[in-house]
Amino acid sequence: MTAQIQVSPVGISDRALRRFEDIRDLLPDVDNPTPLVRVRNSVSAPNVYLKLEWLNPFGSIKDRAAAYLLRGLSETDGLAGREIVEASSGNTAIALAAMGALSGTKVTITIPDGVPQETKTLLRMLGAQVWETPDELCPVDHPKDGAIALARSLAASGDGSLYVMTDQYENPNNVRAHYETTGPEIWKQTGGAVKAFYAGFGTCGTITGVGRYLKEQNPDIRVVAIEPEKGHRLPGLKSFAEANEPGNLDRNVLDDVIMVTDDSAYDMTMQLHSRDGLLVGPSTGAIVHAINANAGSSEGVVVGVSPDGSAKYTTYFQDRLGTQGQPTL
Amino acid sequence: MTTNPTSEPAPAVTLDTSGLLCPLPVYKAALALKGIEPGQILELICTDPGSLADIPAMAHQRGDRLVRTEDRDTTQVFWIEKGTTT
Repeated sequence: MTAQIQVSPVGISDRALRRFEDIRDLLPDVDNPTPLVRVRNSVSAPNVYLKLEWLNPFGSIKDRAAAYLLRGLSETDGLAGREIVEASSGNTAIALAAMGALSGTKVTITIPDGVPQETKTLLRMLGAQVWETPDELCPVDHPKDGAIALARSLAASGDGSLYVMTDQYENPNNVRAHYETTGPEIWKQTGGAVKAFYAGFGTCGTITGVGRYLKEQNPDIRVVAIEPEKGHRLPGLKSFAEANEPGNLDRNVLDDVIMVTDDSAYDMTMQLHSRDGLLVGPSTGAIVHAINANAGSSEGVVVGVSPDGSAKYTTYFQDRLGTQGQPTL
Repeated sequence: MTTNPTSEPAPAVTLDTSGLLCPLPVYKAALALKGIEPGQILELICTDPGSLADIPAMAHQRGDRLVRTEDRDTTQVFWIEKGTTT
């Protein structure tokens, strides 16, 4: 016999009961934080914690930014009947598309070359338009980021009457999301004991927003950014040797920038899978590799961001696994 | 100004990108070329000044042939013959 779930009529979400009237009510804040989980086996330092952002409702840290970008549009009536366009390698796109689906707003995503098929399919499942964009789209005087350039051109075309770009790279609401939620969550979850914070270069909303908040609580907290190499294959991360620095990056909050190779990042990612049971995406591996290489045992509590999980990247991992764990006759 | 005003076959497709800014005309042109057969012609109408350099470069890069360029006041019209290797 199937038990019938009794759901109250339209009510108010109850976080204690984990009953929600709207999936957006799961979005995190200081009273409903994403988990902070210790890395037990893959690192040598004893107090390394990952903030598991893949447990957000739409699967990544970008749920926070997307919610704030949309809120910003709503507060200023910035949508004005237009479609949303955004350049994203996946996570912001998924969050925008999901929330757009909920609110009936059309979303177009310009997506760089090389994004895994899983992400593109997810976006289409959510009803988004997906425009794959080579980085060097314009043959003459081309900008570095073809997807960003294409999104900007869509927003500017037709005298701006067709699309509005949420612009996660330049929009201060991205930074605000992390200053008001991720930063305070980490401070509260560690009881103020956090001594170092690691996050990747991407849109730079996380590193700037969290870094700024934590530095305001304790200026001695080390804020460390992770940067991939030129030509890397680490979705969500940006090498500023080949991409423009976003306006959302505030280098004043940074103590250090650590370069990480693809191989180091993927090796650590697969260690986190196989030794810690943490199904993280490749950017988390880059961040944990940098922590492991740089955080000594005396550094106290170290927090790294785990921006997303592994499910969208299984084709990448399949390439590296080969026949491991799968004997063939 | 008109270049190469020869007697090519009529365009198979006309794409008007008036009002669209680079790189959107390039993107839409590439999509339109994907939808026609080698030897067929795409007529592309652009208003973005950047197209004057971008479209010929795109055609060259892809292995297509720019068979006509026409300048009509603020509008540029390109005829692009799809190559056999694109």
